[in-house]
Amino acid sequence: MTGPTSDGPTREAVRDRLDRVTDPELDRSIVELEYIDVIEIDAGTVTVHLTLPTAWCSPAFAWMMAVDSRTEVEKLPAVERARIYHHEHMHEIEINRGVNAGRSFPEAFPDAEDTVDAVRAELDRKARTARQYDAVEALLEGGLESETIVSLRPTDLERTDGDDRLSIYLADRAVGVSVPAEPIDRYLEKARETGLVDDETDPLFLTPEGEPIDPAEFELVHRRGRLAQVNMSSQGGICDGLRESRERRLGGVAND
Amino acid sequence: MYDHNGEEIFVIDGHVHLWDATEGNITHEGGEEFIQCFYDYHTTFTPEERQWSIEEYRKYGAERMVEDLFENAAADMAIFQPTYLTDFYGDGFNTTEQNAELATEYPERFVLNGSFDPRDGEAGLEHLEELNETYDLQGVKVYTAEWRDESKGWRLDDEAAFEYLEKCEELGIENIHAHKGPTIRPLNRDAFDVADIDDAASSFPNLNFVVEHVGLPRLDDFCWIAAQEPNVYGGLAVAAPFAQNRPAKFSEILSELLWWLGEDRVLFGSDYAIWNPDWLVEAVLEAELTQDDRMEYGVEWDLETKRKVMGENAAELYDIDIDEKKAQFREDEISERFDLEDHYASDAPAAADD
Repeated sequence: MTGPTSDGPTREAVRDRLDRVTDPELDRSIVELEYIDVIEIDAGTVTVHLTLPTAWCSPAFAWMMAVDSRTEVEKLPAVERARIYHHEHMHEIEINRGVNAGRSFPEAFPDAEDTVDAVRAELDRKARTARQYDAVEALLEGGLESETIVSLRPTDLERTDGDDRLSIYLADRAVGVSVPAEPIDRYLEKARETGLVDDETDPLFLTPEGEPIDPAEFELVHRRGRLAQVNMSSQGGICDGLRESRERRLGGVAND
Repeated sequence: MYDHNGEEIFVIDGHVHLWDATEGNITHEGGEEFIQCFYDYHTTFTPEERQWSIEEYRKYGAERMVEDLFENAAADMAIFQPTYLTDFYGDGFNTTEQNAELATEYPERFVLNGSFDPRDGEAGLEHLEELNETYDLQGVKVYTAEWRDESKGWRLDDEAAFEYLEKCEELGIENIHAHKGPTIRPLNRDAFDVADIDDAASSFPNLNFVVEHVGLPRLDDFCWIAAQEPNVYGGLAVAAPFAQNRPAKFSEILSELLWWLGEDRVLFGSDYAIWNPDWLVEAVLEAELTQDDRMEYGVEWDLETKRKVMGENAAELYDIDIDEKKAQFREDEISERFDLEDHYASDAPAAADD
């Protein structure tokens, strides 16, 4: 290589990239979930070690988190190569080898019938549904009616009061409401990522199946968003518990 | 019967096993992985002082099971749900025949369910008939993620499965319990997908489909299907022990279930011996919905709902007359052995549970 020798990225920059990686089943950041054990930086090579709550965690999910970590860290200009290592996972050898060699899931797991794409799409659908609940709650709290909410489009959202608020104007701008931007941005991130809200004039909110919402069905769709949240946080409770009991079994080994 | 603030609650534990995971019975590494994974669930959601050693857990035997279920009257009756796993365990993990050891000794206390696997073809249909002749089945437990040679699972909406469901209808086996729960390694996650319940339930409106573990971690898919199919029920096993160390989460899960399914379609189950009714029944009955959840969902975990979920709903599915049972239990062998006669005395108050 004749390229310039890099000093490598800062640890903060790497953590910031990893923070964008979610546990796909829980839709929460792997940094926040404390899956990351160690980040090693050696010039342009970054090595990330992570441990999931249980050795039995789905290989497909473990695979997605490793691939996403690698992709995110390698987005940093100062990084030439990211290596990701799962620990204490029953399929860590297949996953670590496969992900670091850039193989596909079926190449790494000869038993697997398919790539992880379908599983990922299904979990993305659930994450979008759950995030929509928070976004819609913010709008309801801001005083919007359900008929208005189902008719919104991304183009109706205006950033006026700085970054952390959004405004929506109604009745030919005679009325305006201001709501926190965070839940709506978080929802939009997933809706855009999954290609469902592509255009500024697409309907902003959708049913779990990806259809525009019939105003008569608003309440039911909203309850399904809440249900998706309860499902994810219940599974989070199971993962959390399994991790605690493993740590107890290993004699209270802490991450740091 | 459980004495809940002076009110009696007849408890039918809808999900129990009598298993053998001793090393001598394990014939495939999957068998060891399976019991270790079960054990993780056991320790995760069992109070520390009530946890078993892995050796006790591998095989506890009929005697201990009777004590755990009935000694302090935590449960009044229980329903055996077999799990064959014959590719992992030489004699099977928890078969109808293994369960029959206890079920035939105390037929008044146990309901014995059978099982089927559509991959067994014609021979399996005949076996189901034989099981039914021997044990007069009212229900079956099916394990769609079970490995069989090269196959890693099957679906309830397969053509082959439909043949078995038709056979169940013909034989009067009305209750189909499908394990749809957390990933138990080494079984594949997708084989516990709940989507197959939808088509099976609408194609067989005369059968009842009890989704065990309420589909966790697919509670959302499960509730959505159950809301549309009146013959779909939710078995609380796995969700129940949240009451003990994740009470707010338990409140939320239960609120969702009561909102989507209503109080007539949720059934208690301990999943014994993963969890033990001798502490779990109390944990569930003493649990409360949070004020926020009660406001949000408009549902109650009150005495009437508790009676239904803990026993009456299962009694309805299995034609159990609870009053008749109470009379019978005034003098059955179990009551005699554990001095529970007063418990079932018609007008006397139930003995204090603790």
